[in-house]
Amino acid sequence: MKDRYQVKVEQIKQVTPQIKAFTLSSETAVDPFGAGAHLTLHLPMGDRQYSLINNPLEMTNDYQIAVKKVSANGGSHYLHEHLEVGDSVLVSGPDNYFPVHLEAQHVIFFAAGIGITPFLSMMPYLSTLGKTFELHYAVKNVESCPFYEELLKYTEQVFFYSGSREEKKKQVREALENRKIGTHVYVCGPETFMEMVVDTTRELRFPSRVVHEERFRPAAKIRNPKPFRVTVNGGDELLVKENESLLERLLDEGYPVSYACRMGICGSCEVTVCGGEVIHSDTFLTEKEKENKMLSCVSRGVGEIAINVVETNSM
Amino acid sequence: MSSKVEFPFPFTSDHYEYTNNSSPLIPARTVTVSSNYVEEVRLKRKLLEENHERCYRSLPISLESQWETLLLVFRELATYEPEHFSFKRRGNTYVFTNHLLQEEETFVYRDHSSIDFEPLDLVGRHVQEDLIVMGDRHDGLFLEAGQLCFPSNWSLTFVLGMEFKTIHTPVPAIAEFIEKVERFITRIRPNTAWERKNWSITISHKLDTPLETYSDWGKLRYHVTKENAGELVNLRVEVQRLFRLPVTNDILFSIHTYLLPLNELVANDDWLKKFYTNVKTLPQELADYKGISLYKPELLGFLEKALKRRKIER
Ligand code: HEM
Ligand code: FES
Repeated sequence: MKDRYQVKVEQIKQVTPQIKAFTLSSETAVDPFGAGAHLTLHLPMGDRQYSLINNPLEMTNDYQIAVKKVSANGGSHYLHEHLEVGDSVLVSGPDNYFPVHLEAQHVIFFAAGIGITPFLSMMPYLSTLGKTFELHYAVKNVESCPFYEELLKYTEQVFFYSGSREEKKKQVREALENRKIGTHVYVCGPETFMEMVVDTTRELRFPSRVVHEERFRPAAKIRNPKPFRVTVNGGDELLVKENESLLERLLDEGYPVSYACRMGICGSCEVTVCGGEVIHSDTFLTEKEKENKMLSCVSRGVGEIAINVVETNSM
Repeated sequence: MSSKVEFPFPFTSDHYEYTNNSSPLIPARTVTVSSNYVEEVRLKRKLLEENHERCYRSLPISLESQWETLLLVFRELATYEPEHFSFKRRGNTYVFTNHLLQEEETFVYRDHSSIDFEPLDLVGRHVQEDLIVMGDRHDGLFLEAGQLCFPSNWSLTFVLGMEFKTIHTPVPAIAEFIEKVERFITRIRPNTAWERKNWSITISHKLDTPLETYSDWGKLRYHVTKENAGELVNLRVEVQRLFRLPVTNDILFSIHTYLLPLNELVANDDWLKKFYTNVKTLPQELADYKGISLYKPELLGFLEKALKRRKIER
């Protein structure tokens, strides 16, 4: 996986009044990617992740992303208002925390709004492989929804939901009922929507391992992070400030902690907790592991904690 | 093999235990072309010819990863060894040229009718490595395809379709450790590679030591003496690489096996000393598992003689 390289904006397409699609290309060969993968863009206001929307099997040295303008001064605003064809963008990846499992006998996608993006690469990919899938898509208005034209290609397999929350809930349940073993479920959209779908799969006793959620953000992002003190390996005392992570502090001090995602997803940045209270904010550790481990990129101590940092590869 | 310069000596400390000795490999590579390339690739092909069932196995679900591996490895060879290999694309048709063997492979990507073997079986005929595809499924990591000519006493037929943890059950006291290794593997990011070394000992200079032919090569363990160990006994090192295939999200596991006769090993003081202390302090159950216990006294006797001759303190 490549870290920080430049790509060029080759094309910008207005998809809906709120959504633009960007084609990013490079003169040197770009890495292949899988359906569900994302690219990290390093923008002046910070890092942003966007799903790649092109078919991985038909990729011709470019990456395509779709961005919805959400706030007046965030990353999406920057991409919409300041980025032009010919500009360079600093990126990392692609990486993939939402891969398609080919062992699935059948796949059901649930998307809401701009959460459609990862499925735009999955659907053509599975079609190419001759695998069956269906898309259940919650939108405000069907005809003006993102990628409507694109989705018409799959008329038989696409179901639009545009009613009230209660109606959606009922439709989601109906879509999930009486499914055969081997069906996998993929969900992407706003937090409340994902919860609704995931809760329904639980009620219907889907094994949790066949239910896949796209999460770019940690499960519970810590609001108002506070500074805390850390004793490392029984010696060094460090202060982690409110605007930095434990991982960043440890790396600055020269501790050999490995890391990859910095989002509490991959588990690489694990440290052992020997004392104190920890607010866990990852989606990787099991409840049992949380008793004496923490992921230093996202989780934080309360007041004062003690940790052990071991060498990268010893287990 | 006599190219000591390229021998990946595995010992870093004075004693040996199972650890996750994997480290990231940058740039991410899956294969290495060594000075024995032609000889070993010919041997691989001979084994495949004579015992195809034993050396090649696959499940249908592995086909996408096999194609991905084919492209990846051909691309890698052409990129890093351009004097020996080239790889060109014309529309949907690819042409791979192997200048070392004076051969050309032409194929249409993902078109099975365009090649004579399965993709993994084809690409494996151009590298010295054994190639294994591990499917990263929602319920574990499964061995779904393999071209395996040079195994160290294991059987592809036996492990095909098996889960990673189950594959490792014959290894002594490894259960808890191997679970963590599996989680480590599931965290490997797309397009990145990790490398580790595993070692054992082979009696005679033989790369192909599958479980299936144990009765032929296993009995040689009874013939080791203090006198003949230098010639008969080889340190066997497997350089193993794990690579996350980005498109299917499966793992390609490659194994490059190197053999070094002890007569060559003992010519290096540092290697001699480290090898000696590692064998001497090897826990009994590991020595049993690696098949060393049968001739351990003879082996140590040979090494002690060499240490004395070279005036190295133990
Ligand atoms: C993912 C691909 C891998 C496959 C297919 C694989 C397969 C095997 C097999 C077939 C054996 C021999 C078992 C027997 O005696 O029947 C073995 C041994 C072993 N494996 Fe793996 N393995 C893999 C990765 C790893 C990794 C990443 C590690 C450690 C970080 C590891 C650690 C070991 C150890 C310690 C042994 C015992 C070797 C000895 O003492 O000679 N394996 N493996
Ligand atoms: S870096 Fe991935 S969990 Fe912390």
